[in-house]
Amino acid sequence: MSTQTKSPGIALDYVKTIGIVNNGFNGRGFANPYDIVVDGDKRIFILNRCDPARADAIRVGICTLDDEYLGEFGKGNGTGDGQFIWAVAMALDSQNRLHITDEHSNRVTSYSLSGDYLSHWGKAGSGDGELNGPAGIAFDSSDNVFVVDQHNSRVQKFTVDGKFIANWGSFGSGDGQFNLPWGAAVDNYDNVYVADWRNDRIQKFDNDGEFLAALGSSGDGEGQFMRPTSVAVDPEGFIYVADWGNERVQVLGPDGSFQLILKGEATTSKWGEEYLASNPEEKAERDISNLIPALPAHLNTPYHISSQTEPYFWGPVSVSLDHEGRLYVVETNRHRFQVYQKR
Amino acid sequence: MISNDTAMTAHLLRRAGFGASREELEQYMAMGYDGAVEALLNPSDAGNMPDDLIRRYHVEQSELRDLAGSAAYWMYRMISTSAPMEEKTALFWHGLFATGYAKLNQARSLLNQVEMFRRSGLGSFEDLLVELSKDPAMIVWLDNNENHGTAINENYGRELLELFSMGIGNYTEDDIKECARAFTGWTLGNAEYMSIRAAKDSIWPYGRIAWHFDYREEDHDDGEKTFLGETGRFNGEDIIRIIVKQESTARFVATRLFQFFAADEISEAGEKTIQDMMATYFSSGYQVRDMLRTLFQSDYFKSEEARFARVKGPVEMVVGAIRMAGNYQNPALGIEKVSNTMLYMGQGLLQPPTVEGWHEGSEWIDSGALVERVNFAAKELSDVRSPGVRSIIDRLQAGSDDGVLDPEDLADGCLDLLGPIGVSDETRSVLVEYATRKGDLDLNGHQPGDEAEQRVGNMLRLVAATREYQLA
Repeated sequence: MSTQTKSPGIALDYVKTIGIVNNGFNGRGFANPYDIVVDGDKRIFILNRCDPARADAIRVGICTLDDEYLGEFGKGNGTGDGQFIWAVAMALDSQNRLHITDEHSNRVTSYSLSGDYLSHWGKAGSGDGELNGPAGIAFDSSDNVFVVDQHNSRVQKFTVDGKFIANWGSFGSGDGQFNLPWGAAVDNYDNVYVADWRNDRIQKFDNDGEFLAALGSSGDGEGQFMRPTSVAVDPEGFIYVADWGNERVQVLGPDGSFQLILKGEATTSKWGEEYLASNPEEKAERDISNLIPALPAHLNTPYHISSQTEPYFWGPVSVSLDHEGRLYVVETNRHRFQVYQKR
Repeated sequence: MISNDTAMTAHLLRRAGFGASREELEQYMAMGYDGAVEALLNPSDAGNMPDDLIRRYHVEQSELRDLAGSAAYWMYRMISTSAPMEEKTALFWHGLFATGYAKLNQARSLLNQVEMFRRSGLGSFEDLLVELSKDPAMIVWLDNNENHGTAINENYGRELLELFSMGIGNYTEDDIKECARAFTGWTLGNAEYMSIRAAKDSIWPYGRIAWHFDYREEDHDDGEKTFLGETGRFNGEDIIRIIVKQESTARFVATRLFQFFAADEISEAGEKTIQDMMATYFSSGYQVRDMLRTLFQSDYFKSEEARFARVKGPVEMVVGAIRMAGNYQNPALGIEKVSNTMLYMGQGLLQPPTVEGWHEGSEWIDSGALVERVNFAAKELSDVRSPGVRSIIDRLQAGSDDGVLDPEDLADGCLDLLGPIGVSDETRSVLVEYATRKGDLDLNGHQPGDEAEQRVGNMLRLVAATREYQLA
């Protein structure tokens, strides 16, 4: 399920899908996942945003690429230590501490990878270092952290423990301006990329916030975006974008040129297979169903198509990379992630 | 002194919308009554809260897996729309073609049905019935996915005639069977798999899979049928073409529209209006929009008799209070609790109690529901931090002599700006007496939340508790 330029400089092969909807408060599976991080030990951490009915179980789930579910951590819903209300994104620092943003509580909370709450920082406001809707988060090679401060229309740079260093940006659509920005990434040269969500573009800055480039425009064509939520950059400079409103992922070259589109090609996860094996009647009908149906014209939008087409991305909110060239695409509405391998 | 123009336009907006703040009322009054009717009946841009914003902050309203998030999503539409008639019309058809979550376990398809009501609810009744018959939620709700060429299931055919068009007594049992035969093969994609998932409430492995219509020609009974005296190899569209020609259908549609948009009870003058709407039904080619224009332009609708002649339904009550208070204009925590409140008042969105919908009119009011209604409206309208309430305070000050209101000014001003609401002399005297306890109200230099503002909030709370506020 991909389209590409005639001679893309990159190829991605579908590997597998991991996940199953978790309708409860803990255990295997995911609940409206919003972000994903892979550590040096190849453990995969999934941030479960959770809907209001399951808000008490906001948590980080842990699994491996071999479908082993290792457990979860978190302290639930609220404003107490280690708690979240609207958790958005997370990033690892050089000391393997996991830092998680909360756009409602206006703070960044840190956990160890063994699940111990460490600390939190952040104060609501619009002054230097104050936050209004922190969303994307990313570290550079010096352990400075960049936080996308969505409602203040800016990016802020802090030390790892939250001391203010600098910020840039204002509301608007010009170079260096933002409209409800969301995701962030840092490349190997410590440049900063921001998913400028409501401007339908990716902006690139140097480490001090100097504007370098704006990539993309509004639309559903190649190289165009509709509400991009997340961005990741690999060591060769290829730029992966969660083109959320178009229900797809796009890859751009280091120069910003369009390379390819992924629409999603999820297969049944191991956990899903286990569910179906214990529900043979349901499996029998599923096996003879057409899960990629032709739809009536009034449902022929990316959102509606994905709501009816299980293999496609639906709510692809986050893209992340590991150190072995794998791309992880998190789908909020399908409670899973799809894995692709760079060839 | 409240002008008749103000009162009549406010009356129109209570029926063709959810009531109106004074700012909204003034926008419609500037168009004149006829212009306001046309603007409401021909919305060009709904201007509601954008889906991308809702989806970003409310994951449950992006996935729309569960009832609570789906009802809340519709709430946002009703609260934020600048085309209230579109939502009111969808609410009307939702009550008439009542389809509920309990059997479907598929909230998204219910919202897709509501979207169909927005798209087709003011157009041709014939087209609407065809859309309804193709609607996957309706198909599962009334078992048309079990209606096969080799073995019919009469459920949809029966309700189409009894509850959705002609009404009982206007057809025979044989007509029902022939109607059901004509709709064989009208089902949903992957019907067997989706039926199992619905029956088990299965969300595995990856959440719900939404539904779409599918016509299975091989499952359709293409034989000759006789329906209401006409004979042919009818398919579903042919049956609907015959249904909409019937006078009983015209009376059914006109009466139900009248009772939702005009008055719970039908007086002699109301009956004359229903007959005029029936005439429009035929002359316009079954156009709902034209029938409603006939209603809104009728002498009856414009008369005093029609004003406050309906008990507000819980959804109207809740949405109206929130719109008046100006709350929930951006995605916020708590919206799902608001939609639960309507359930406690007796009207859970997307969960009508049966295929017959809700029992409306005075049946909305029992002692438990009344307490919920009064408490909710009073809380919304007495919060002086809400933008709509702040606007009322500013208008009271601007309309007073030197910023000072005597007790009668305060009571009358609040009644005016929340409607205008006409109340009995007894009710008004209670309001004035309450205001008199603290004497004149000086709003000069008022600050957010200070005692002067709180006195206005308290008066609004009292108005929200009146019998008259419960009526539309």
